Amino acid sequence: MNRSLSEYEPFVGRAILDQLYQLADDLKGMTVVHVNSTKEGGGVAEILFWMVPLMNELGIKASWEVVEGNSEYFNVTKMFHNGLQGNKANFTSAAKKIYEGTNEQNAQRLRPILENADAVFMHDPQPAYLLKLCPERKGRWIWRCHIDASNPHRQIWKYLRSFLSDYDASVFSMPNFAQYLGNPQFIIAPSIDPLSDKNCQISVSDINETYDKFNIDRNRPILTQVSRFDRFKDPIGVIKAFRLVQNFSPAQLILAGGGASDDPEGAAVLEEVKEAAGDDPDIHILMLPSDAHKTINAIQRISTIIIQKSTREGFGLTVTEGLWKGKPVIGGNVGGIILQVKDHHTGFLVNSPEGAAHRIRYLLRHQGRLRMMGEKGREFARDNFLLTRHLREYLTLLLGLKKGFTNRLIAT
Amino acid sequence: MTLFEIKDCALVVRMADQRSAMNLRELYDRITVCSSESIYHHFCETPLRPTFDDPEFRNDFAAWSKRALHDDELAERLGILDPYDFTNLEELRQILLEIIDERLSELTYIPWAKPGMEFHFLQALTVVFNTGVSIESPEELPLAISRMTTSSLYYHFLEARRRVEGGLDDFSTWLLNWNHRGEALINAFAEVDFYFLTLRELQSEMYRTASNVLKEVSSF
Repeated sequence: MNRSLSEYEPFVGRAILDQLYQLADDLKGMTVVHVNSTKEGGGVAEILFWMVPLMNELGIKASWEVVEGNSEYFNVTKMFHNGLQGNKANFTSAAKKIYEGTNEQNAQRLRPILENADAVFMHDPQPAYLLKLCPERKGRWIWRCHIDASNPHRQIWKYLRSFLSDYDASVFSMPNFAQYLGNPQFIIAPSIDPLSDKNCQISVSDINETYDKFNIDRNRPILTQVSRFDRFKDPIGVIKAFRLVQNFSPAQLILAGGGASDDPEGAAVLEEVKEAAGDDPDIHILMLPSDAHKTINAIQRISTIIIQKSTREGFGLTVTEGLWKGKPVIGGNVGGIILQVKDHHTGFLVNSPEGAAHRIRYLLRHQGRLRMMGEKGREFARDNFLLTRHLREYLTLLLGLKKGFTNRLIAT
Repeated sequence: MTLFEIKDCALVVRMADQRSAMNLRELYDRITVCSSESIYHHFCETPLRPTFDDPEFRNDFAAWSKRALHDDELAERLGILDPYDFTNLEELRQILLEIIDERLSELTYIPWAKPGMEFHFLQALTVVFNTGVSIESPEELPLAISRMTTSSLYYHFLEARRRVEGGLDDFSTWLLNWNHRGEALINAFAEVDFYFLTLRELQSEMYRTASNVLKEVSSF
């Protein structure tokens, strides 16, 4: 469902919306194409779902294209994803052929749109090779990396860099994630949509339904991690932390994960998690469909503490989702989680299952502190991680693309 | 009298053309050659970046010394630097280098940051744009200030000091045309100790200051 910018006024105020219109004034009529590899599931799709219509409302001709591919292609791009995050990989010439071939098939369909656009945002490595296949491009092309690429696997990075460096600019979520590419590198943190099904206010009946549907006890604290079943999210570590808490405090753990069509490893990790949980009735493993946004919203709202104990993380928007719902977050001391969890203020940063257990026990024993952290977290999310800030930075970047990347630009 | 046209600015942060620093020696070396835009960003544009509560230090060099190098003494020495006390950024750069050099000479080791805690040199792409709002007289100033975005206030009150000759803020430059009312406001704004305020706090302080001055002036 497309929303209007005015619907965000109650959250951010009129002045912030006016700012977006004023900035976009110079961008009216500009054609902007976003390209990624999935329409649903994962943070990138969620961002594009709101960003593209809002750009259009501001007078920009924005569109969203998705590259298509078979499971072989997504296995290769998953290897790229993991490789960018530092995992070892065996990048063969066959994998390269699959990747380039699938991009070539997509180029047949997308070339006219991409070559004629004033600006193209390629999200992550999946569609990035399209640049090589659009030699007649007239606009500026930006590679938008949502992944922590601070320590990539060399073989994979060497290959990707061979064409990523041809982009006019690149965008990373944090300075720590950036890799030298020889082009201007911008830093834009992602954001959440406070009106989306995942973040909007929900009814008491929806809340009650969630307790009942998943057989969750209303009287005991609920610890929740929402994320894909991915080893970097460390769901096994979360179970280990929960076991350490269970010995002292009665609690329940929810591990809620959605799948994404570009993540072939999810099923294997889910099996590992089920095995680790055993038959413990207080561990609820919920494999939710990718469109179960309201369910995730309800689960986060009934939770006492949100956990995001990743060992590697691109940004970890589930942290901001938890903060927005007024919950303290215990997060892994990695990636974008560090930007969102302000240690001892909006939650705690931890480095091990033991650290997570320690902080969970502390918060369960200090309810006043738990509430105060939750309130601070919501205000922190409002000030820094709502989509209006995100959109403003994209508009600023587009103005830079249009007028040149000097330090200072005067919009007319 | 000329109108005061309210402008606003938006920025997007970019990596400066400079490698990251892993230790205090590297920080010193990089500061000697980094762009003045980068020095400006790490000292003056920090209030526009996502921050939480009152950060202990207002400039990134001090914050990094504490968080990454765990050198509290150096952090304190750098943290007290007020960039608006310097006539230009090169002067600020020299003082910054002197403080770091002095600290290096005191230590028997070079403090290092853990991997992942490097100092990244950043700068910003700033776009300035018209809001379409203007005010005609000083009496309209308090309300206008209260309705501004914090980035607009930053542009007119802080960034202006770098832009306008004489280091005046935009409000004061405009108020020069308004005789005794203008003078009273200029003097009051000059006394606002803004460097350690968040932009929201500064907005409240400016609103209060302007309202009080105008009340006093009108009662004469």
